Amino acid sequence: MRLHRLKVNNFGGITNADIAFGPGLNVLFGPNDLGKSTIADAIRLALLLPHASTTCEPYVPWAGGGDPVVELTFATEEQRIWRVRKRFGKSGSSVLEESRDGNDFDEVDRGRAVDAKLREVVRWGIPEPGGSGGGRGLPSSFLSTALLSTQADVSAVLTTSLEADIGGGGRDRIAAALQAIAQDPLFLLLLRKTQERWDEAYTEKGNKSRAKGSVFAGASERVNQARDEKESLQKVVDESEVVEQGLRKLIAERSGREEVETGAAERLHMLETLAAQAEACKQAADQARVALEAVDRIKQLADDVVASERSLATLTASTERLEAGRDLARAAVAVAAETLKSSEAEARSATLAAEMTDTVARQQLELRKAVADRAATAAQQALGSAIETQKLVDAATAAERELTQLGEQATDAREEAAKRAEMLAVAQAALDHCEELDRGLAIQLADRHLANCETEVAKKTALAADLVRLSVERDSLLTRRKRLVVPVAAFLPPLRKLEKDLAGARASLGVGLVATVTPRQARLELRLGRDGIVPISEVITQSLDAEAESELFIGIADVATIQVRGGKPDAREYVRSLEDRWTLEAAPHLTAAGVQDLVGLEEKIEEARDLETQLASLNREINNLQVQTEALAETEVLLREAALRASGVREGLAEGMFESLASELQRMGGDPGVTLRSRRQRASGEVEAARKASADAATAQMLTLERERALRERRDKEKAASDVALSRFPEGLSVAAANAQAALVATKAELLTVTKDLASVHSAQDERARRLDESVRSAREAEVKSRAAVDAAERAHTDALTTQALEGGRLAELRKRLASEDLVAAETTAHSALAASAALPVPERSLVLGELEAARAALATVREDITNIDREIQRSQGALEQVGGAVARERLYAAVEAFDQAERHERELEADYEAWKLLLETMKEADAAQASNLGQVLAPAITKQFGMLTALRYQGVQLTAQLGTEGVLVEGNLRSYERISVGTREQLSTLYRLCLGEYLRTAVVLDDQLVQSDEPRMDWFRSLLARNARTFQIVVFTCRPGDYLSTSSMPTGETVYVDSDDGFIRAFDMGRAVQRR
Amino acid sequence: MLRLLHTADWHLGKRFPSFPEEAQKKLSRARLEVVSTILDLARRNSVAAVLCAGDLFDDPSPVPAFWEGLARIFQNRPTPHPPVFLVPGNHDPLTTESVWDRSHPFRARLPAWVHVVDRDDFTYEITPEAVLYARPCRSKAGESDLAMALPARAPGDTRLRIGCVHGSTFDIEGHQTNFPIRKDAGVLRGLDYLAIGDTHSFRDVTHDLPVPTVYPGAPEPTSFDESGAGSVALVALFRHGARPRVEAEAAAFWRWRDVRCRDMNELRALLTTRELERQVIRLHLDMTVSLAEESEMERILRDLQGTEATHGRAGVLVVDKEKLRRRVGSVDAFPDHLPQVLKETVVRLNQLAEGTDDIARESATRALSHLYDLLQRQESQIGSAV
Repeated sequence: MRLHRLKVNNFGGITNADIAFGPGLNVLFGPNDLGKSTIADAIRLALLLPHASTTCEPYVPWAGGGDPVVELTFATEEQRIWRVRKRFGKSGSSVLEESRDGNDFDEVDRGRAVDAKLREVVRWGIPEPGGSGGGRGLPSSFLSTALLSTQADVSAVLTTSLEADIGGGGRDRIAAALQAIAQDPLFLLLLRKTQERWDEAYTEKGNKSRAKGSVFAGASERVNQARDEKESLQKVVDESEVVEQGLRKLIAERSGREEVETGAAERLHMLETLAAQAEACKQAADQARVALEAVDRIKQLADDVVASERSLATLTASTERLEAGRDLARAAVAVAAETLKSSEAEARSATLAAEMTDTVARQQLELRKAVADRAATAAQQALGSAIETQKLVDAATAAERELTQLGEQATDAREEAAKRAEMLAVAQAALDHCEELDRGLAIQLADRHLANCETEVAKKTALAADLVRLSVERDSLLTRRKRLVVPVAAFLPPLRKLEKDLAGARASLGVGLVATVTPRQARLELRLGRDGIVPISEVITQSLDAEAESELFIGIADVATIQVRGGKPDAREYVRSLEDRWTLEAAPHLTAAGVQDLVGLEEKIEEARDLETQLASLNREINNLQVQTEALAETEVLLREAALRASGVREGLAEGMFESLASELQRMGGDPGVTLRSRRQRASGEVEAARKASADAATAQMLTLERERALRERRDKEKAASDVALSRFPEGLSVAAANAQAALVATKAELLTVTKDLASVHSAQDERARRLDESVRSAREAEVKSRAAVDAAERAHTDALTTQALEGGRLAELRKRLASEDLVAAETTAHSALAASAALPVPERSLVLGELEAARAALATVREDITNIDREIQRSQGALEQVGGAVARERLYAAVEAFDQAERHERELEADYEAWKLLLETMKEADAAQASNLGQVLAPAITKQFGMLTALRYQGVQLTAQLGTEGVLVEGNLRSYERISVGTREQLSTLYRLCLGEYLRTAVVLDDQLVQSDEPRMDWFRSLLARNARTFQIVVFTCRPGDYLSTSSMPTGETVYVDSDDGFIRAFDMGRAVQRR
Repeated sequence: MLRLLHTADWHLGKRFPSFPEEAQKKLSRARLEVVSTILDLARRNSVAAVLCAGDLFDDPSPVPAFWEGLARIFQNRPTPHPPVFLVPGNHDPLTTESVWDRSHPFRARLPAWVHVVDRDDFTYEITPEAVLYARPCRSKAGESDLAMALPARAPGDTRLRIGCVHGSTFDIEGHQTNFPIRKDAGVLRGLDYLAIGDTHSFRDVTHDLPVPTVYPGAPEPTSFDESGAGSVALVALFRHGARPRVEAEAAAFWRWRDVRCRDMNELRALLTTRELERQVIRLHLDMTVSLAEESEMERILRDLQGTEATHGRAGVLVVDKEKLRRRVGSVDAFPDHLPQVLKETVVRLNQLAEGTDDIARESATRALSHLYDLLQRQESQIGSAV
């Protein structure tokens, strides 16, 4: 961390400060009480203290002027520049910003989160605020103590250690820094190589890297590829083997079936032989049987011819009988047809005559009906017209009656509206009077306010006069105080000690000196100075013994100056060094204060203190007056406004009116405002009610008039219509209605009669038609029956003729066949056939029924099986061509080998990288174990510096693992740091802190650290700090700039700071950098 | 006398997935390179014909580099050249998509003296007194006997009749579906020599029969278990009825060896083996080594195998460390003046290596070995630090 800039406002005794730190050694010097430690505290608070903490209370300016504000800009690493701004107090705030270039900042956090982030950023091992163990007040840790020292306890770093840290961040940070410096180069090299191997295989989190290109991914991918190929080929081979197995089975099956086929074929051949023998025997027997049958057939043929001749004679007689019956049926049909024809003619003539009669009667009846309909319609219309007219007359009468009633209502409404308007006027007058009274009251109030404002203005004028007087008095005191340039009282004791030391040292030089001056001229002008007293001129004419205690100065005009000093050289040297210190430390104060000695300075300081006390008292008084004056700042404005208001409320009021109103208000008693307000409320209510009632009455009146107008128009229309309607009935409305009613009844009776007659005509027509249809249907049925009888007779006759013809044909055929047969030859053939059958060989055995067919079927089945198997074989071969057979097996073998190889390789690789991982972890553990003893690592560096500082008086510094200070080694013995001198202790503490700062490359703040160190050691430290300034930042607060800076490095004139040593040393004059109250 | 060169099972385009990538390329290239050797042998032995009995490509549709390479070898041969007969086998059956199809560009690039057996009735009169009958495989598997499908000797035919097919003889397991060849098919079909291919080792399956039926084997081995591979068959036919003389002639460049080392001496001796550069070695390390020995072993393996910067002494080396054991408790091998932190590392790892957890023991032993090896390698750089 490196501090860039610090801005402070209203922080403790500091009004403003703006400090831009340099990169190396920053020496901020100034006399005591200038605010150096306050600036150091500001850095500490900016980094560590939450803004709302009550710990900041001591820094709240006692004289007011706002909350303390600190803004610190610092960098934690390259291009990570932070700016924290805190306004301390209950209503304070915190903002943390970040920048890469130190110019453009972006807000990172705000409020409470700022401190958590800061603690994370600085990594001092301080837990987040609000966490357990955080405690109240300014948090601290080993590192915060070491890096930001306080003036109060410069050796604090020796009394603390990392063990007290709540957070582990500080320890980790120190361990990392120390570990880095402690590592052996060979170890580092091997660690880096091992880390490279680890990086090849593992992610940052220590998991196996499966990313593309990583070793495991490559091996795994090879395994997966090999596995995929193996599984794919295994599948092919499995399929192939299934097919091959099936094929082998089929081939075996085919061989089996082929053997069965051979057996079946042989058996079939044997059976076929037997069958052939049996068939030959059977055929011979059949031939004999056929020959015998031929003999029998010829004999039977002769018998059939005789029987046929007899049958034909019988059939001829039957045919003749049937022919006679057919003729009788035909005659009956002729009779029935004649009957049907006459019935139909009779029906047609009867229907024609009746229809003519019926048509005439119906037309007459329909004519009567039409006449009656027309008469009924006319009567109905007349009756309706009379009824409508009567309605119009009734409506006109009703409208007239309604109009009369409405006229009465309109009169009532008019009277009511007038009454309500009068009431409204009364209520409004009462309300207006209330307004007047209100105005009177306002005038009274404005007058009273005006008087008050005039009083305030007078008071303010008096306060201003007091303020001027006190300010003049304060300026006078301030001028007197400014004239007194004195250090703070605490500065006096060291100066007194210095004076005492100087006096003592000088006293040791006071050996008593006598110098005799003898003039060689008559007159000699001398300048004689004794014991440091300013030389005075003296003229001697004779020998003079110049005496002094320790120092004698003799100046002889332009010839020579003689200085005689008493005492030993080292005593003189001591006096000179004290005098130098006096010149540097005391003389400037004496000169500035315009006094000769410390007594005078003390008086001046006392005077300054009195003046400050008086100034403080005056300031308080002035502040008090200012507060009071500020409270009255607006008084004149208020007075002007009150005057304007008072004249405004009177405007437009008639003369004498206010007095009348005032007297009335006076009569109202104690609080006229309240009374008036209640009266106005009441009057307001009454006006509102009256206004509403008046409006209601006016509305009612208007509605009544409107209705009256509309009704009158309606009545006029209805009257005109009824007059027109009545003019159509000269005989009178009731007579016309009665006539129309009678005509309507008569026509309805006529219509009823005609309708009945028409129904009667239709019914007679229907009955006649039914009778004629019945007669024709009976005649037609009789004709159909007789025709059926003729058809039956003709069919019987035809059948008889057919039978007779067939029998005649059969007889002719029988006779022809008989003529073609040779009975003798047939009997000869029969005998020959019987003889041949007897000569044939007899089969070994008879075939069982179906035995031969079964053998053939068995053979066919076997052959079909073989055909099927061949087809299956072909199919299997087809499948085998697809799956691969031996080719696939060979490839599977190679794939399995590749897979095994890939797996072996992956296993080997994993084991190998696991070993690399273990090696790396073990190396780190070993390294960490070594570096965990932080004291062992850090102590040598401190020892080296400490030894150089003390000229090897101390052999070593012993630190614990947690950086606690055990002590220093003196002559081989451990001595507690408490037992070494205060000066040496603060030097050891400073070295410890500088070592930490160097290793951590972070800023170290030293607040008046080395006040007890002698000059040689300060020289040594000055040199060390100048060297360190080139490595890390050091901020020193001191009232003794000479300890750290050469004279040429100090700012002169009005310059706030000056850089030297190539910019690595920056000297600040705090008197100019800080503006105090 | 009629001389023939009988070869088969070139398996051009075959992949070797169990080998490292560079080795795969070497082995694949070798399969094409041996064809030139075979054709040179044919020329040197003045053969009348070269019979290639199937599985010449590992796949019916090989990548172009292989069929282009083969065509280029044929094209570059000096003419006249004895006829070469290429028979499709079960690895590279004759199908319409195969390299053997007449429409394939491979066919167009073949010289006239190269004949592809792309008909079932393929017949070629090598000389007036000698005729070749061949039949191709048309699928990757089949149950028909292609030898028995060759035409039988006609009565009175006294010419030398040579058959050439691809398939498995009856003595081979699974022959039923891999184009089975009857052992006496040559006799039954009246042949004088039956040239077959499939098995990768040289084998005459018919010693007791008058007609030799011979597997010449793969001219370049394809695996470690093909002891008789790497040859072609040179056949001398005298006259019909006289048994021809068949001899194996070495053709392979690579020698495939399974080597087992049981101690460091055997491993060191391996380095002295002749013609290591022509060997494909599968090295089984079946021994126990100390840290120092393991470091030496790794150096020997790097020497044999090569690195990214140097060629290995062995042609191809595959190392099997399954049975390699590391001796525990050999941390004395580490230099005495190691930095303290490294000493601490060794102590911690050694404690794990001597523990009871097998996995941790193995890992720690390896880790010690890594550390030792790292130190050895850095020796020159770390100089006096070690």
